[in-house]
This record gives sequence, C-alpha cells and structure tokens, in this order.
Amino acid sequence: MTVLNMLEPFMPQLILVLFALLLPALDYLFKDKRLLAVATLMPLVGVAVAIVAWMFFDAWTPPASSVPLVEIDLFSGLFTLVFLSVGIIVVLTSADFVRGDRNQGEYYALILLAVTGMTLVAEATDLFVIFVGLEIAGISSFALSGFRKREKRSSEAATKYFIVGGFSSALTLFAISLFYGVAGTTSISALGPAIEGAFSSFEGSDSVAMLATVLVLAGFGFKVAAVPFHMWAPDVYEGAPTPISGLLAAASKKMGFAAFFKVFLIGLVVTKTDWEVAIALIAIITMTVGNLIAVSQTNIKRMLAYSSIAQAGYLLIALPVGTQYAVAGAMFHIMTHAFMKSGAFMVVAGMGSAAIGEKLEDFKGLGKRSPFLALAMALFLLSLAGIPPLAGFASKFVLFSSAVYGSIDPGPGWLIWLAVAAVLNSALSLYYYARVIKYMYMDSGSEEKVKVPRWTMAAILIALFMTVFLGVFFDATVDVCLRAAEAFTDLPLGL
Amino acid sequence: MLEYAWLIPVFPFAAFILIALLPKRTLWWEDGAVYAIGGALGAMCLSFLVVWDVVMGDTLIDGSQRFEWLVVGDFSVTFGIWIDQLSAVMLVVVSVVGTLVVFYSGGYMHGEGETRRRYYAEIMLFISVMYGLVIADNYLLMFIFWELVGLCSYLLIGFWYERPSAASAAKRAFIVTRVGDIMFMAGIIILFKYVGSLDFADLFSGAGVAAVPSDMMILATALIFGGAIGKSAQFPLHEWLPDAMEGPTTVSALIHAATMVKAGVYLTARSYPLLVQAPESLLFVAAIGGITALVAATAALAQNDIKRVLAYSTISQLGYMTLGLGAGGYLVIHADSAAGYSAATFHLMNHAFFKALLFLCAGSVIHAVGTNDMRQMGGLGKVMKITSLTMLIGSLAIAGMPPLSGFWSKDEVLAAVWHAGEFDPAFMMLWVMGIATAFLTAFYMFRMWFMTFAGEPRSDYHAHESPRIMTVPLMILAGLAVVSGFALFIGDGFKAFMEGSIDGLLAGAGHESVFDVAVEIFTDPLTYLTLALAIVGIVLAWRMYYVPGFDRSVFAKGFNGKLQRALENRWYISKFYDDFAIKVVYAASLVADAFDRHVIDGIVNGFAYLGGNMGQVLRRLQNGNVQRYTGLIVVGICLLLILVLYVLPWGGW
Repeated sequence: MTVLNMLEPFMPQLILVLFALLLPALDYLFKDKRLLAVATLMPLVGVAVAIVAWMFFDAWTPPASSVPLVEIDLFSGLFTLVFLSVGIIVVLTSADFVRGDRNQGEYYALILLAVTGMTLVAEATDLFVIFVGLEIAGISSFALSGFRKREKRSSEAATKYFIVGGFSSALTLFAISLFYGVAGTTSISALGPAIEGAFSSFEGSDSVAMLATVLVLAGFGFKVAAVPFHMWAPDVYEGAPTPISGLLAAASKKMGFAAFFKVFLIGLVVTKTDWEVAIALIAIITMTVGNLIAVSQTNIKRMLAYSSIAQAGYLLIALPVGTQYAVAGAMFHIMTHAFMKSGAFMVVAGMGSAAIGEKLEDFKGLGKRSPFLALAMALFLLSLAGIPPLAGFASKFVLFSSAVYGSIDPGPGWLIWLAVAAVLNSALSLYYYARVIKYMYMDSGSEEKVKVPRWTMAAILIALFMTVFLGVFFDATVDVCLRAAEAFTDLPLGL
Repeated sequence: MLEYAWLIPVFPFAAFILIALLPKRTLWWEDGAVYAIGGALGAMCLSFLVVWDVVMGDTLIDGSQRFEWLVVGDFSVTFGIWIDQLSAVMLVVVSVVGTLVVFYSGGYMHGEGETRRRYYAEIMLFISVMYGLVIADNYLLMFIFWELVGLCSYLLIGFWYERPSAASAAKRAFIVTRVGDIMFMAGIIILFKYVGSLDFADLFSGAGVAAVPSDMMILATALIFGGAIGKSAQFPLHEWLPDAMEGPTTVSALIHAATMVKAGVYLTARSYPLLVQAPESLLFVAAIGGITALVAATAALAQNDIKRVLAYSTISQLGYMTLGLGAGGYLVIHADSAAGYSAATFHLMNHAFFKALLFLCAGSVIHAVGTNDMRQMGGLGKVMKITSLTMLIGSLAIAGMPPLSGFWSKDEVLAAVWHAGEFDPAFMMLWVMGIATAFLTAFYMFRMWFMTFAGEPRSDYHAHESPRIMTVPLMILAGLAVVSGFALFIGDGFKAFMEGSIDGLLAGAGHESVFDVAVEIFTDPLTYLTLALAIVGIVLAWRMYYVPGFDRSVFAKGFNGKLQRALENRWYISKFYDDFAIKVVYAASLVADAFDRHVIDGIVNGFAYLGGNMGQVLRRLQNGNVQRYTGLIVVGICLLLILVLYVLPWGGW
C-alpha cells in the first residue's frame, strides 16, 4: 500500500486544502481581491462537478477506501454537494461583502478549510475522523466569525463561539473515549455490535454507554444548535459577518446532522429504544423554543438564527423515527434548508453591502426599493414556512410524513406526535416569516433605490433557483434522497 | 407536436414574468405590449400546430405526458396534459381571441399610462392559466387553474380600482364565483373518495365510473356543474357578470365573453363521461341552461349600457350552450348521437368569435364617445364605418342570420333540444324557451345596434374611427364570425370531429355525411320557424328604434309599467341578493362574528399571549453571558442523564 493509495479517498479534501494553502500567497499577487474569490470558487466548483458527474451520470467511480476511515457513498456525496454549494454561495456573496477588508486571503482560505472539515465528517466511518472533521470546520469558523476583529460584535461572537465550542468539543472527545472504553473500537459500524457484546460481558457498561450517548448528543447538539445547547447561535449569527452566518446556519449545522446520523443511526442504533424518547423531546422543545423566540426578535439575523434552531428541531425528527424514509426526508430538508436559509442570509448580506441595517424595520418598503431582493427574500421566507410549490414545502412534507408513516410501521405509535408538533410549529413560524413580507410590500419606508451588487445577485439567484427547482422536481429529489438513505445504512423503509 | 403542448402556457407566462420584472426602460412600446404580443403569438402558433395534429386525428389522452410532482406511497399528485377535440376547440378560441385582444389593447389602453404594465402582466397571466385549464389532465390541476383564472378575472375587473364601483364589482365577481368553486371542489372530493384518483384517464375509464355509486354520481356531477354555474354565470349566480363590465372592455371581451366564462361550459363538456351516468344531473344542467338563456335575454331588453346588453347576451348564450349540453347527454344515452354535445361546443366556438367581436366593437365605440350609455350615442354609423359594419356582422351572427356562424350553431342546439324532447317531455318546454330566446336575442341586439349607430347624435361628442391596430382585429373577427360556421361542413364535419372526444360513450353509429347534415338543416321546418322569429325580432327593433315617431311608451305602460321596471331591475334578482345579504346573511354573520371574536379569538389570543410571554421569558434566559450558556449545557446534560437513566426506565420505556 503506497502513500498515494492511502491518499486516494481523500482527493476532494486534498484539492480543497491545496487551494486553501495557496490563497494567502495569492493575496499578495492579486490586486483586485475579487480574483481571490474566483480562485476559491475553482476548487469548490471543480469538486462539485466531479461529484455530480459521479452521482448522476456515473462518469467515474470513487476509489474504494484503502484505509477504514472514510467512505464515499451517495449519502456523503449528497452532503458534500450541500456543503460545496453553500460554500459557492457564501464565497460569491463575500466577494462583495468583504471587499475592502484586510486579510482576504486568509478569509477565503478559512472558508475552504471549513468546507473541507465538513466533507470529512460526511465521509467518516470512524468516530475520530468525525471529531477531526468537526474540529477543522469548527476552528475555521471560530476565526471566520471574528474576521472583522476591530468590530466589537464580531470579536464578541468569535469569543463566545470559541468558548462554547471548545467546551462542546471536550464533551464529544470525552464521549468518544468512553465509547472506546466500553466497546474497544472507534469504528462506527463496529460500535454497535461491540457495545452489545460489552453489555453482556461486564456490568455497568450500559450506564457508561448511556453517559457517552448523552455527552455526544450534547456535543453534536451544540453544532446543530438544539435546545438547550443552542444559546451561542443567535449571538454568533448576529455578530459574525453575514455570509459567515449563512455558512454556519446552512452548512455547519448540516455537518452536525451528518455526524448525528452516522453515530446514532449506525453506531448506536442497537440502543435506539434508550435514546429515542430523549431526542424526540429535544426535537419538540427545540422547534417550539426556536419559533417562540423568533416571534419576538427585532433583528433579522437573530430571527433567522432562531428560525434555524426551529428547523434543527424539525430535522431531529428523523433520529427517533429512524427509517429510510425519515433519513431521506431529513436529507431533503437539509438540502432545501441549506439553499433557502443561505439565500435569506445572502439577501441580508446584499442589504449590508448596500449599507442598510439588519433591523426588521429596515425591510419596510423594500419591495419598492429593490424588487429583486424583496421578491427573493419573500420566496425564501415562504419556502422556510413551507408554502407549496417551493422546496420548503416539499421537504417538510416528506420529513413530517415520515413520522406519520413511521408511527404505523415500524412504530412506536407516539412518533405521530412529532409530526403534530412539527405541523403546529410550522403554522406558528408563518407568523414571523409573513411579518417580514408584510414589511417589505405593505409598509412604506425609505424610497431610495437599493443597488444589488452583481456577485451577491448571482449567489441569490443560485439559491433561488434551487429553492424553486427542488420544490417543483419534488419526485426526482425524493428519489435521489431515498437512494442516498438506502446507501447510508440498513434501516427499515418506513413508507 | 402534442407532447410539446405543455409549452403553450409557458409562452404567455414568460411574458408575464418579463413584463412584471423587467426594468421600466426595457419595456419599450406601450409599457410591455411587445412582450405580451410575443407571448400571445408564440402560444398561438404552438396551439395551431397542436390543433392541426388533433384535426389530423391525433389525440393525447393516455396520461403519458405527465409530471409526477408529489408521490408518497400510494398517494400521488401528478400534473399532465390531455389534448382531445374538446381541448382543441378551446385552444383555438383562447389563442385567436387572446392574440387579437392583445393587439387591440395596444390601441385601446393607449391612454392609460404606466398602469399598462400591470394590465399587460395580468392579461398574460390570465392567458397562461387559461391555456393551463384547457390542457389539464386531472380535476385537481384544472381546479388550480380554475382558481387562478378567477384571480386574474378579479384583478382585471378591478383594474381601475380607484373607482369604488370597479372595486366592488371585482369583489362581487370573486365572491359569487367562489360559491361555485366550493361546489366544484366538493364534487371532486366525492369523486376522489370513491375512485382514489382525479386523473381524467382513471375517472373516465369503465372501472372509474363503476366505482362511484349512482346516487353519489348524481351528487358529484351536480356539484361539479355547480362550479360551472358560478364560472359561466348561470342562473341564479349570473348577476356578477354584468357588474364585471366595470373592467376595461378588452377584459370583458377576452375573459367575460370569449374564454373564462366558457370554462364552466368546458368543464361540463369535459365531465360528459360522468354526466351521462347521471341523467338527473343532465336534466338539471339543461333546465339551468334554458332558464338562464331566457331570463338573461329578457333582462337584456331594457339595459341602456351597451356593455351590459352584451353581458346579458353573453349569459343568455352561455345558457344556450349549457342547454345544448344537457340535451346532448340525453341524446348520447338514448340515441347514441353526439349531436347536442357537438352543437354546444360548436356554439361555444362561434360565440367566442362573434361575442369578442361585439365587445371589441363596443370598446371601439366607447373609446370614441367616452360613455357606455346608448342614450347618449346615435348616429355613429356615419363616422365609424368599420366599427358599425363589423358590429352589424356580429349582431347578425348572434341573431342567427344565415349564413353567419350563429345561425348554424344555434340551429343545431335547438334541433338537439327538440330531439331530446322525444326522451323527456321537459325538453319540449326548454325548447320553447330556446326559441323565445332566439326571438329576444335578435330584438335586443338590433335595439342596441340602432340605438348606437343609426339616427342622429343624441349628445355632443366628437367621435372618430379607431386606429388601425383596433380595427384590424375587428375585421379579422368579423371574418371569423362569417366563416366559422362553415366548420360544420369542412372535412367530415364538425360533428364527426367532436364525436372523437366522446367516442367511448357512443355505441359507434356511423357518421352522418356532411351532405346529410346540410339537408337536415334545410328540410327541417323548425329551422325556418327560428329564422322567422329572429327576422320578426329584427324588424320589430327596426320599427321601434329606427323609424322615427314610434311611441315606445305603449310597451312601457304594459302591466302598469311593472314589466318595464322588472326588466330594468333585471327581475330583481340582484335586489334579492342585496336584501338577502343585508338581512339574513348580515344577521348570521353578526352571530358568527360574535362567536369568532369572543370564542375563537379568545383561544387564539390566549395562545398568542402565552406564546409571546413564553418567548419573553425564554428570551430573558439569553442574556449574552457565555458562562450561562455553558452552564445551561451542563444542566441540559444532567437533565438528559436523569431522563434516560432514571425517568424513562422507571416509566417503563
């Protein structure tokens, strides 16, 4: 086994890292800093094209892993695509947003590194790879949140994010070591059988395994901003540069879910009856708390942050349901949420580039000031609320109905309450989404026209296209997600 | 070409998007008319290609062109296209009238300034969804488009929303048609309950029809026809259409004469495979049609607003079509003949052309004179030669003068009703109503024509002929009003063509030859009876409104003037609704309002209060203090541990 052989499965990450290392050097060469954005887009688009060519056109086959650490399958492919697309959208918007800032080379390099970490989590087959991926993405995003270090809010956000993030990493690492103590392995697929074996062979191992489960739940819960591990999110989303808030909400959170699925639905599926009620409760509490607090927000970024928390609650439904259909629904919602939420953040970023504030009030009369931004925002928000035929409706439909189907087969029956809670919450959420639309179209504000920067417009158009496309091509998308869920692991179909 | 039919609505929709979103300076001529013309022409060309394929004997009714939007387990929502002879007729109507109206608008809306952008955007949206309605292959999709055309109708009736009368007419149209829409929806829900699908292919198959118990079939078809009563302005829901004349005349021509109001007739014709299973519903359809035809024709006698005359005439003619469809169903059941069905669709097509012509002529007159009131007109024939002549052609066509189109189709409808009388005597009475309507139609149309164009000007106006962009569409439509009737004799004839779309219901009796059809028309004494009545009507109108010195008060004084007043007040139907709405509905709504305010709102506000307060409490937890954040994580972990290690096992999970 040559070194090259071992590196083969890490090809996507290698390309991304190579460019990340190159970018600070290019910073000295390029006078027009937008070229940096172009250089960042190249690996992102390149890898995305390669993955699309593999997933949808069978143009090539991914190398079978020679090291038992990562595996490229449809599941990881779909997640990687989400991360890369969000990366592309964020980089495009950043070209306008950080124009004129210093240290742009590092900024773009860190975005690439964050995406690298996320793809690693999606491909991981080992607890340690997950941890390393989480850390690469985490540390990059700490730095990105504090990118405008002279700005008080930005530094504050980075500090908080760093402290809470470090704490959560410690919890995750502790949990992994406990798992190793019980099972003697860190391989995710071997974890389940090993834990079962340990239960019968030495006493007290079940409590230790439960402790580790709760700790890893807290560690990942931090990433996805599930209640009560969510407190950092609104502060950080508000303080970080807006494109980075989009990256955190649309991609970093999805990485948390990739980790959740891998650990809980492959590794810990043997103890599902022990943790499913706990996660179901967290799901319901998360969506309710997120929506309730979102109602009373006055800052658009904080509102979107709480809406992201609520959406995390919806996505958590997939874990207690634990069927292929539920995983497919969650992946669908992860995709749609990535586009509509990043789109919404990019609209805010576009307004930021045009020097308009982030208060909800600032949206008053936007329909007249910039029909494009207003229409895009309205579509993103309606999609988030789940109005057909937009993508948000489609994915919510699949996700929520998976709880209904799951409650019938394979059970248990109480799963249906997850769907009930989610639907009620969706209705509640419409209140604060629709309020923004009302501000934009029905209220009058400043009359001054807003000029949307070109690159930001491109980013918003991509997100908009996908938000409509995924909703209209409902059936095909569900099909892809179901195939990915099937490739992911052997779960009951639940349909 | 048929598989590309789904592209037809895409053209006008693209025009809608462009007109709505493009920056102002790129809208060019007439604030977007260029895009509108482009969209309409593109759709028309494609429609013609599709129609040509249908004429050549090709249809697409197997659901092979279908887009699966939502499929979960056994439940699916699919959108597809369904092209048969009936859709082809509608495609011709929508594309020809739509395109001509868009051209005509270039002149008619010239003085509207910046609001033209809104006008063209809404017109394009309407044309797009109207095409969608016509080619939809299931009731759900059709219902979606059905609602969308209703929305466009609402927007366009209220185009001059600054005028309170226009705003309230728009609201009225929307609310009244809503009543029908609800019935339509109820009908398709019943069908879905029994068949489990809303695709025409499933519903119209033998298995689909058999799955619905016969009493439920009567209910479902009657409810679906309820949708048609609303949309096609049939008695008793017809009063919204005259009010809808508040919109621009082009809108009246396109939406409220040629296309949208035909949607109800189209729906009824489309549901034929279901209707023939329920003869009771067919009789209901025919009776509503006959009553509508007569009531609206009498109401048209005493109107002085030129557009209202045309509106009542539209209602009356729609009644004819419905009557023809009802009678046609009996002919399908008892005589294996598509005579009524083809007569009604034939009248639908002919009426679309001559009524659009009449409305556009009226628009031309209004454009010149600046009023709708015929009492202020008179003598316009001298200055508006093209308009007066084309309107004369339209009036002759609707009055049923040979060889214009109205003669052929009206005669066919009445012949079908007469023929149906053999199987149910009720049709004899409906036939009498039909020929009475024919007489009245000829009278009020020529009353209108003489009042407008003949005699001396009755007010001070400076009229001039309309610009070329308006008169050319008039001439084209006038040409169509002359020749479209001959479709009856082209190729195998219109009847044989329409048989194709319901051949599953016919036992396969051989076609009549075109020659036989002609012989039948000209040897039937009833043809001459109808014709004579129509001529009497025209002569009477000439005597009363053209020859000076006729004392019209003789008629006004009849029945102590009660008849005149009743006609002017359109049989008090509108007044009945107003009174009913004010007294009964208002009382009911007060009760509902009190319930809503105190009980429902109480509950909702309670929740909102609870939600808001909980939000505030939860928000206070979030004080920005990072120690608290990590502290809460620890508390969360502890609670979770207690839950999974002690509470859940204790609870028996």
